[in-house]
Amino acid sequence: MSQFFISILIILSGGFLSILLARHLKSAKFITVFLVCTGCVWGLTDAVTKLFQSGTYVASYRYLNVFSLDFQIDGISAFFLLVIFAISLVASFYSFHYMGHEKNAIKTGINYFFFSILISAMALVVTASNIITFMLSWEIMSLSSFFLVIYNHHSPENRQAGYLYFIFSHVGAMFIFAAFGMMYSYTGNFGFGPMDAIPDTAKILIFIFSFIGFGSKAGVFPFHVWLPHAHPAAPSHISAVMSGVMIKTGIYGIVRMYMLLDFHTPIFGTILIVAGAVSGILGVVYALGQKDLKRLLAYSSVENIGIILIGLGVGMIGVSSKNMPMAVLGFTGGFLHIFNHSIFKSLLFMGAGMVLHRTGTCSIDSLGGLLKKMKITGTAVIIGSLAISGLPLFNGFVGEFLIYMGGFKGIALGNSTFIMGIIAIISLAVIGGLALACFTKVIGVVFQGEPRTKAADDAYETGGTMLVSMSVLAGACMLIGIFPQLIIQLPIKATLALGLRFDPILFEPILQITENISFAAIIFAALFLLVTGIRFFLYKGKTITSSGTWGCGFTQPTVKMQYTGSSYASFILDFFNPVAPLEEEHANITDRFPAKTYYRSQVNDIAGLYMDRVIVNPVLFFFDKLRWIQHGDIHLYIGYILLAIILLLFFI
Amino acid sequence: MIKSIIFWLLAILLAPFFSAIILKIKAFFGGKKGPPLLINYYTLIKLFKKGSVYSTSTTPMFKLGPLVSLCSAITVLMFLPIGGCQPIFSFSGDVLFVLYIMGLGRFFTIAAAMDTASPFEGMGAAREAYFPIICEAATFMILIFFYRLTGELQLSAYFTGSQTLGLWQSAGAPLVFIVFAFFIILLTENSRVPVDDPATHLELTMIHEVMVLDHSGPDLGLIELGSFCKLFFYSTIVSRLILPFGAEITGLSFGLYILGLVIVYMAIGVTESVMARYRMDKVPQFVLTSFALAFFATIITMEFIR
Repeated sequence: MSQFFISILIILSGGFLSILLARHLKSAKFITVFLVCTGCVWGLTDAVTKLFQSGTYVASYRYLNVFSLDFQIDGISAFFLLVIFAISLVASFYSFHYMGHEKNAIKTGINYFFFSILISAMALVVTASNIITFMLSWEIMSLSSFFLVIYNHHSPENRQAGYLYFIFSHVGAMFIFAAFGMMYSYTGNFGFGPMDAIPDTAKILIFIFSFIGFGSKAGVFPFHVWLPHAHPAAPSHISAVMSGVMIKTGIYGIVRMYMLLDFHTPIFGTILIVAGAVSGILGVVYALGQKDLKRLLAYSSVENIGIILIGLGVGMIGVSSKNMPMAVLGFTGGFLHIFNHSIFKSLLFMGAGMVLHRTGTCSIDSLGGLLKKMKITGTAVIIGSLAISGLPLFNGFVGEFLIYMGGFKGIALGNSTFIMGIIAIISLAVIGGLALACFTKVIGVVFQGEPRTKAADDAYETGGTMLVSMSVLAGACMLIGIFPQLIIQLPIKATLALGLRFDPILFEPILQITENISFAAIIFAALFLLVTGIRFFLYKGKTITSSGTWGCGFTQPTVKMQYTGSSYASFILDFFNPVAPLEEEHANITDRFPAKTYYRSQVNDIAGLYMDRVIVNPVLFFFDKLRWIQHGDIHLYIGYILLAIILLLFFI
Repeated sequence: MIKSIIFWLLAILLAPFFSAIILKIKAFFGGKKGPPLLINYYTLIKLFKKGSVYSTSTTPMFKLGPLVSLCSAITVLMFLPIGGCQPIFSFSGDVLFVLYIMGLGRFFTIAAAMDTASPFEGMGAAREAYFPIICEAATFMILIFFYRLTGELQLSAYFTGSQTLGLWQSAGAPLVFIVFAFFIILLTENSRVPVDDPATHLELTMIHEVMVLDHSGPDLGLIELGSFCKLFFYSTIVSRLILPFGAEITGLSFGLYILGLVIVYMAIGVTESVMARYRMDKVPQFVLTSFALAFFATIITMEFIR
């Protein structure tokens, strides 16, 4: 354990130094990034060795002589630690050239300070092994990310996003408290010990409470409302860490609760699959409707959380129906997708960060043609888009493939499993198609075509660490996609660590699958080279000319005539209109001659829409009625406290 | 293995020939003589001889489009049991790979279309991104059906030898639904009437043809060849489904398979001749029909196979 704590200390010291040295921005940045990276590498090596040794490591400290702070690293923790440290490493490296103008030196220092706290808190969350430690780390994580979200606190939009995030993370924490409180009331201690004392119905209730609590952090529909506001508000490397890693701590919470409760009912799997299918499909539909690149990516995280939940749900259904091949495929697929998503989502956020940095905007419809000016960024984002669409040769495909196989294993079984299998498979298929549409929109409108504004026309790419970070992640996407056997042991170890006593023989098919995927990818690559060769031969000695795009007879095209992202998405959004209502606003025609006019459209998120009507308004109404309690007289307030204590004494 | 490779090469070489059958049938319905059956070869040779004009708006993605779409089509044929013969490669789950590799082809076709900055091509790309989503759901429903019957996830388990006949024997009635559902998917995925009209004169109403407006010369030839191969892939499956006889004498079963192919291509031709293209907003309903058919077929199997 000491290596783990040392790495945390190194990361934290980097954060503190960044504040102390903030006046000398360059050196502060260098020292901080260096320390954070060192800490992450140190923690990463520790996590990998612990994952492969598949033991359990514990450490315990007394805090204030009342609570004990317990930490434990088992296979699951090690797997999540690996993801946390790996992505934080790349993100902090990226930040070196992304962050910092001289005039905002203090702000940059503070940002690094909270960034290092966020990394440490995430690492502590996945290692905490009692209720107190867990909640403490959880709150630190939520608060530090809150301060990162309001980095640009001058814009009212960002402040509002931060506020929304603050409320959501605390309502979520309240549900987690409720779940832990129920656990405590049955077991009588704060530890994550055996839960045999809890009756089955209580276990289900505990799981549902914790699912809501952790789901609101993970961004499960309909608790995702904060996510598309908060993630884009933060600086891009923070968005990468939040979308790529932080939301996975919610998934970690769900997995941990599932392990602790050790209760194999089909209800858990059903909840996960249905919630996953809904988040997956709606997440990508809303992503498709976004006009801001970073918001689009944030919604796409909701989608990928959906895929992960479907995978884990398939695993749970497999366990509850005693179909172990299905369980193993589902869990391994889910864990693998956690790993893969953290790679390509942070890659895409970093690409968006570069676009934002060099053009000053993330509005999809005012960009265009960036691939010509930002070759490395463009290529990296194209690779990330292929990966996130789950296409072969890229890493997203492998995880989805395993989940599909798990779902199909469920088809062969009895009726309820059969239906869950159908939901899992069909929703994955629909998500795949929609993701392809969504990311061809990103590629096609942002990076291809002609620049729509001057800002996009003047774009260029600089920033060595940013380019290196993106290239590394893009390389990882392709490498894992073609040779998945390189990393397949990581999710397999995590699945083995679930404590469900899986027979190692069950993993043979998975190894076989990765070899098959690799084999098929190589065949495709070979054919691709062959056809490229033929094409080269066909073009030998031919005249190649260039001219303008064929405008179907129209000779005066302007860049404004290009298909916009909104029109590209409109066909599909029409189909999903009941769940993604389109809000339009435009001036009416008043005169005979065309006058200056405007048009604004926005795809609404029904969860956000109904949250106002169903929850916020009634709550406001109710508390409005209680306003008389608050009158400003301090004597009465003290009276309230006394009254409350006396009332509570009755219950002890 | 060698036989499979020969069949694979034959499939790529013969795919343009079969597509000409559609033209012949349409000409027949129009009371015309129609182009010769080798027309597609003449077109391909003509295109391969030419040079190319590239738009100044394009990037290397534009050149990758034809390459990847052709590659995905011929890769897919490697996993297809042609004429009931063993495919070149086969592994458990290859169907998923096949479907997703076609998705890869689609991604690059769309990207190449968006590369030109042309509003028409953007429109085509938007439609190309839309309809296959529903198709994919229907295809996976059909896969669930097949998995229910065979417990396997590979094309060779459904379409080699006497396997297909076995499917008919165990669940003949729902399989009729599947044939129709698959035919609808064939029409949609290959941009045929009533989803798309490859022969229309107005770019606004096209899907696939408008996406390749700016390609020329050998690039266009590669795209054409790719789409012939893709149509051949789907037609082979339908052909195996409607004439599932895996007779012992190779010659006879192969003859039956060719007959099946001709029937499928003629059916496409007849559909194109007697129907008009649907209005764009009616197309999703048409495609959803295939999903509904496949869904009902699968539900029926719940009774058949316990």
